[in-house]
Amino acid sequence: MVQQGDQFCLTDMKEGQTGVMRSVLGGKMAAKRLADMGLTAGTEIKMIRKALFKGPVQIELCGARLVLGRGLASRIIVDPK
Amino acid sequence: MSSNKINIVLAGQGNSGKSVFFNFLTGLHQHIGNWAGKTIEKCEGTLFYKEQTIDVTDLPGIYSLTTSSEEEVISREYIIHQKPDCVINVVDSTNLERSLIFTLQLLEFQCPVILALNMFDLSKKKRITIDINKLRHILGIPVVPTVASRGYGITRVIDKVLEMQGERKEYPVQRYGKEIEDAIHKLTLKISGLETPYPGRWIAIKLLEKDPDIVDLIRSKDEAITEEAWKLGEHLEDIHGHDAALVIADERSHLASRIARETVKLSHHQKSTLTDRMDAVATHKVYGYLVMIAILGGMFLTVFGFGNWLSGIFDSLFTGWHASWKENVGESFIAGLGWAGIESVLALIQIALPYILPFYIILYFLENWGYMSRISFLMDHFMHRMGIHGKGCISFIIGFGCNVPGCLSCRIMESKRERFITTVLVTLVPCSAVSVIVFGLVGKYVGLWWAAGLYLLAAVVVFTVGKILSRLMIGEPVELIMPMPDYKAPRLKTILRQTWGALEEFVYIAAPVVIISGVLIQAINLAGWMQAISSFLKPVTVNWLGLPAVTGILLIFGILRKELILVMLAAYLGTTHFAGALTAQQMITLAVVSIFYVPCVATISVLWKEYGWKKALLICIIEILFAILLAGLVSRALNFVF
Repeated sequence: MVQQGDQFCLTDMKEGQTGVMRSVLGGKMAAKRLADMGLTAGTEIKMIRKALFKGPVQIELCGARLVLGRGLASRIIVDPK
Repeated sequence: MSSNKINIVLAGQGNSGKSVFFNFLTGLHQHIGNWAGKTIEKCEGTLFYKEQTIDVTDLPGIYSLTTSSEEEVISREYIIHQKPDCVINVVDSTNLERSLIFTLQLLEFQCPVILALNMFDLSKKKRITIDINKLRHILGIPVVPTVASRGYGITRVIDKVLEMQGERKEYPVQRYGKEIEDAIHKLTLKISGLETPYPGRWIAIKLLEKDPDIVDLIRSKDEAITEEAWKLGEHLEDIHGHDAALVIADERSHLASRIARETVKLSHHQKSTLTDRMDAVATHKVYGYLVMIAILGGMFLTVFGFGNWLSGIFDSLFTGWHASWKENVGESFIAGLGWAGIESVLALIQIALPYILPFYIILYFLENWGYMSRISFLMDHFMHRMGIHGKGCISFIIGFGCNVPGCLSCRIMESKRERFITTVLVTLVPCSAVSVIVFGLVGKYVGLWWAAGLYLLAAVVVFTVGKILSRLMIGEPVELIMPMPDYKAPRLKTILRQTWGALEEFVYIAAPVVIISGVLIQAINLAGWMQAISSFLKPVTVNWLGLPAVTGILLIFGILRKELILVMLAAYLGTTHFAGALTAQQMITLAVVSIFYVPCVATISVLWKEYGWKKALLICIIEILFAILLAGLVSRALNFVF
């Protein structure tokens, strides 16, 4: 769930770390909703904070704050910086 | 008159200040904001400007115009079928890149669009500079900076609307990547012969995105086109490696960021904003929860404190009324029914003013301030265990005040499955009327800890039912995707306007049902059937629950308004000293039944309105059976305690 092979997902990022989104695994609908919010391959993302336990994550992209559920975040593959 | 009537709509994403814009335009009282889900109802208003009558419709705040949620379908169908003279796209100028994705979708409709760069003062404050001329040039539509909360720029927008009337020009088209444009072009040529209300290019895009409604529509007209679209979509997938819908969404997003890059300059030394510093506490792993408990706790204490005080005043105000009604109108059957009607109206006033009014004021304060999204963030994980996401927590909080607005607010949930689960759970949340019973009966005569225990029981029940429902209802849970807005200083005027709108909706939905059923129950009572009913219910009330037979009648009246159970018990006993008539065990049992058995009529009417009478009836029957079962078990378990 967390680590997909050698792939690095959004949830693996530390708070304050930045990265570039590569792809979303599965979930066509979710990927489309994310794209509508401006989160597509190539978007630069900064991890702001992760909620307690397996709560959602808050990220920053192009100056906007976005909250994503943990399950969804763990399916977003990023290239960390 | 109709010849110079102009019809405009406001469209935009959530948190863009669109509804404030609408309020400023029309001066009409209405509901705003996405949280309470109010904008799903069409808000209309009229503006008289420069001797013109302009009808304004506020569309729901949405993120895209593809059919993924009901609001979005409403908006898109409205724009297509009503053919407004102008669409004003209100966007958050501090967040242009994301907003432009929606703007691009609007432009696909090939309708006249004006872009209102709202919250322009905030973008200046954040040192974001937007090259308005360049943006206008690239998009090919008028672009006007506005600050809706202060009315800045709004007349300029309307002037633009008036200028655009009469001039018929080509609508600008934003081009996507070559492969997509090729596919769109091929499809558009084929579609051009069909009779549809939608523009050809738009249909072509939707066919490639495999939008189910549009695919069905076109298939019914010419199956060859949908097959062609399918093939072209496959081709796009071969090239890009993923779904055609996603390819197009990606393209749109890239186009938006390209436009944003060309027109927006962010100052580089961005220091941490006030919002960031506040969020460091408000969404902190530990302090965040403490702050939330403090804020919500303070809210409930304030509401209950104020509510008890004011309802006490009302009680003493209304005490003599029944006697003087009897004196002046008489005690005939009809007079009795008339009094039941009046009593229902008084009952409504006694819930609406003392409890719901302050509740809404605080709620809308928190919403306008921006705090509600923080609660969703903090509670998302917990809510997921019930098969819904963090936003559902807001409905629960509202449900604590009153189940009616709580159930209405479930419209913010994206899928039907989520909405239904959340609504059912909200009906199990103890509302302020139930709290009156819990505190007035159990808290006062058995002990506060027992009252707290009942709340814990309610939490366990809500949680368990949520878990069961999320297993039973097919469909994948929707993940939380939510923008986190900046904290904003709430405006009193906005809060009051929203509160008024919510109260209006409450009265509109609840009043007819409460009054009619009040009269009906009184008719049964006056006909002398109550005794028969209470002895009919004896096997349940006396044998199973171990309560006095009179509670059967109380529970029937309680359907009207749950605290009537307590009020009528006092009337029956002739005293409010309940400990003399009921044992501790009976009080707890009665409270448990009251919490869970059937939502009150006002809530039932919402269930009916939102889900149809079959589902509403089903929910009621299941909850009645469940409450009786649970309370009986609790009563038996208490044998070991008392």
